[in-house]
Amino acid sequence: MAQRWRAWFIGLALCLPVGQAQAQAPGVSVAIVSSQTSAPYLDAAQALIAQLVGQGVPRTTVQTFNPAEVTSPRVATLTSVKIWVALGTEASMALAKARPKAPVLSTLIPRKSFERVLLESGQKTSARFTAIYLDQPLQRQFALIRLALPKARRVGVLLGPDSWSLASALQTAANTHGLVLRAARVDDDATLFSVLQSVLDDSDVLLAQADPLVFNSQSIQNILRTSIRVEVPLVAFSPAYVRAGALLALYSTPTQAGTQAARAVLEVLAMRPLPQRALDPDDFEISVNEQVARVLALKLDAQALRLALKRQESPS
Amino acid sequence: MQNEGMKNNPSTRASQSAPWLGLAWLLAATAGSAQNTAGISEKDYLDEMPIVLSVSRMPQRLDETPGAVTLIDRDMIRRSGARDVPDVLRLVPGFQSSMSFEGDAPQASYHGIFGYYSGRIQVLVDGRSAYSTYLFGSVAPGLMSVALEDIERIEVVRGSNSVAYGARAMFGVVNIVTRHTGDTLGVTARLNQGDNGIQDAQLGLGWRIGNSGMRLGIDQQGDDGLAGSNGHNRVRRVNFRSDWRVANDSDVQLRAGWMDSAAGRGFANNLDAPLRETSYDSRFVQINWNQVLNPEQDLALMFAHNQENNHDLAARPLPAPFYSVNLDSSGTARNDSLTAQHTLRLNPDLRVLWGAELRRESVTSLPVFNTAEPLVTDFSRLFGHAEWHLQPELLLNAGVMAEHSSASGSSVAPRVMLNWHVTPGQTLRAGIARSFRPPSAFETDGDIRYSANGRLLEITVLARGNVEPEVLLTRELGYYGNFSWLNSSLDVRMFDEALTGLSQRQNYPLPPGLTLVPSNPVDYVNGDSITLRGLELQWSGRPWPGAQLGFNQTFAKVLFPRPPVQLTLMNTMPDSATNLFFSQQFSPGWCFSLIHQNSDPFRLHKSGEYRQFITRTDWRLSKSLRVGHRTGEIALTVQNQGAAQADFDQSFSSERRAYFTLRLDN
Repeated sequence: MAQRWRAWFIGLALCLPVGQAQAQAPGVSVAIVSSQTSAPYLDAAQALIAQLVGQGVPRTTVQTFNPAEVTSPRVATLTSVKIWVALGTEASMALAKARPKAPVLSTLIPRKSFERVLLESGQKTSARFTAIYLDQPLQRQFALIRLALPKARRVGVLLGPDSWSLASALQTAANTHGLVLRAARVDDDATLFSVLQSVLDDSDVLLAQADPLVFNSQSIQNILRTSIRVEVPLVAFSPAYVRAGALLALYSTPTQAGTQAARAVLEVLAMRPLPQRALDPDDFEISVNEQVARVLALKLDAQALRLALKRQESPS
Repeated sequence: MQNEGMKNNPSTRASQSAPWLGLAWLLAATAGSAQNTAGISEKDYLDEMPIVLSVSRMPQRLDETPGAVTLIDRDMIRRSGARDVPDVLRLVPGFQSSMSFEGDAPQASYHGIFGYYSGRIQVLVDGRSAYSTYLFGSVAPGLMSVALEDIERIEVVRGSNSVAYGARAMFGVVNIVTRHTGDTLGVTARLNQGDNGIQDAQLGLGWRIGNSGMRLGIDQQGDDGLAGSNGHNRVRRVNFRSDWRVANDSDVQLRAGWMDSAAGRGFANNLDAPLRETSYDSRFVQINWNQVLNPEQDLALMFAHNQENNHDLAARPLPAPFYSVNLDSSGTARNDSLTAQHTLRLNPDLRVLWGAELRRESVTSLPVFNTAEPLVTDFSRLFGHAEWHLQPELLLNAGVMAEHSSASGSSVAPRVMLNWHVTPGQTLRAGIARSFRPPSAFETDGDIRYSANGRLLEITVLARGNVEPEVLLTRELGYYGNFSWLNSSLDVRMFDEALTGLSQRQNYPLPPGLTLVPSNPVDYVNGDSITLRGLELQWSGRPWPGAQLGFNQTFAKVLFPRPPVQLTLMNTMPDSATNLFFSQQFSPGWCFSLIHQNSDPFRLHKSGEYRQFITRTDWRLSKSLRVGHRTGEIALTVQNQGAAQADFDQSFSSERRAYFTLRLDN
């Protein structure tokens, strides 16, 4: 309930400038297009706006729209916009198809979704259309496994039709960290269980990669119940999985995504181009399920792991 | 045994609800599966997930359980070559099991049976008591109510666990966990065919409708029974399970099942137990609702209804002018139970569970109780249990169950167990528990009369309701060690189980003239006290790739504070029993398993002072199959490779049996 009120409140706060915008439309320089108005999108928008305002960008020059508005004549003709920021896949798709004059930065979007947006819209990644991914670089994921579970040697991965293309990159990243990858493909939910079992037989840890066919609110029950029974911990990609019963999760919060996007936006406002290539998230969080750790006789400290991982990535 | 009016078996008003409910659910399954196929999006990273390992479902480490636990998983069940649960339980230290159908079904018991039926352990199937309350009380029909294919694992708690599961968990609990419907989508099938008329068939169907997973399992198991017995048998089962995720924080499960067991019993030359055909059927409905209140608390509600019908009727010839009298032990039993349980984590080191159960059990049998009215017993139970990490290396498990029975009054069963992790991987346990077994309706109200031509011939059982609950005091020391370098674990349980006031038969004379033949009926009284003292050792591991190795050893002494009246109690447990399990997988897809069981003599269920050694060797060779994208298996199992030996009765013999299996996985 509290969350709903919060969403309303923030939604209201974000919408407020829209009213003013109609009078001052020519002044809009940062246009945010949010796929939805639920809490994660609002958190990202709020962090983005707060960072910009903190750096002296007038609040009235930042406006938020929904994806349907992008093609409306009122918005499409906004000439003062210096950068469009898309929050989520739907917003990115709307902007990719609208092809506005100003560059587009897509954030709160997984790599696979961004690739799909490019494919469907005929766009290419460039300084005019780029992204900050929501998913964590594979190197970081394997580095975390090495830090948190130093005894683990064999990493099991379940891949579905959407994530199968990661197989070779996963293999390379695992090898870099001296780990053995056991990847298996799941093509439908009926075969999930038998594939899971065979992977768990050969694995010390199960590393989850987002794929709605493999990891969803139905399948997570089987995956967690089965993996904990054979004492193979699950390392997941969102804190919701840790609450569900995964041992660890490595993820970027919407606030972190918004903050990183703000830095790119400030560059553009300072007349510098967006990066040519899409970026990985630079900040991240780690969650640990203490009770699962206890069942597995492990002692893990989420903050210590995060700091250690950050130190590894930037030794200075 | 019955009076004249007994021919009308009152058991026929059984509700057919269980199978029909399952069928209705099945027929309703017209919608397609709603699987998310939209591709990866940020929702995969941002959406909430159900709390799967909620506070009550968080598993307990084997070195933190309040007692010795034996886990048998699906893989081990398959490799064992067993065809039913009682035969699987041979792999648990301290268990004895039989293949005979001469009792209500094949019996399995922990630390002796003390009689004909195994009634001093509890059997739970997915948390529902499958204890048969008919006659003396027995776990045997419940153990037969689940097909092995439906089982995910069997957790056997060795030692009193009344705190968690009520009075019937006096010596321990067999906790059968069936497979989740999410793990059994698609079609499975199995056929067994072999010696001694072995013919088993199984078909499983799993499907999904929206947020619900479902499974329907149908199977039949049958053989010609033990040599020398009339024990040809056929068990048919239908089991349905549905898991419905209502929301991320709540789920509802519906289970329903039906079992029918038809078996021959009796002896060609025994007029009191003649050759006859018997049948037993049971059906149940179980509804569970689980609500996760927050990551630290959840709530579970369960309703279960169980119904049993027993049909065992034979004619005993008598001299003229009576000619014959019916021997009848037919009747029905029904149980309804409502349980609520609240689990909460008060702080990271203290998990507490408390709850209540209301339970009504009724038994109806004119021939056994001399009344057509049901004998109803109401139970109310309050239970609480705390799992408290006093120190990182010290865990206290403490619990209590208060039970009130309308038949035998109130009892309180407490248990305390302390687990000390001496080093990581090495744990010592010490604990004490007190538990009770209230007498069954038969022990308090049994009334078996034989009449013919309107004359009361004899009364063979006339219980006077004098028997009090049996009391068991369990003291144990345990050790659990994990040897990761050997990929093995060792569990040792040293036990001292003092049972006082064992419920025993005692004959007493009725005044002459009451019956045509002078009657000396059986009553049940609290008689002998018995102490079981010994050590159980369980070593299990996967020491090298593809291998599974298990070694169980039990040493036991049966002691009596005063000389027993029932001398056969002396042989209730073997002095020493050993069980060896070895299984090795070979590529490509071959697997060989060997089980060897060796036991000092102990008494059989039905042969007085006769004692039987057990030396049984089983082996199994299997080859996995791949047909398209499906997998399966073909296997040859040989049970009791060596000499035949007596089982259940001195005249019944378990001989070598071989059978082939053809299995198709989902």
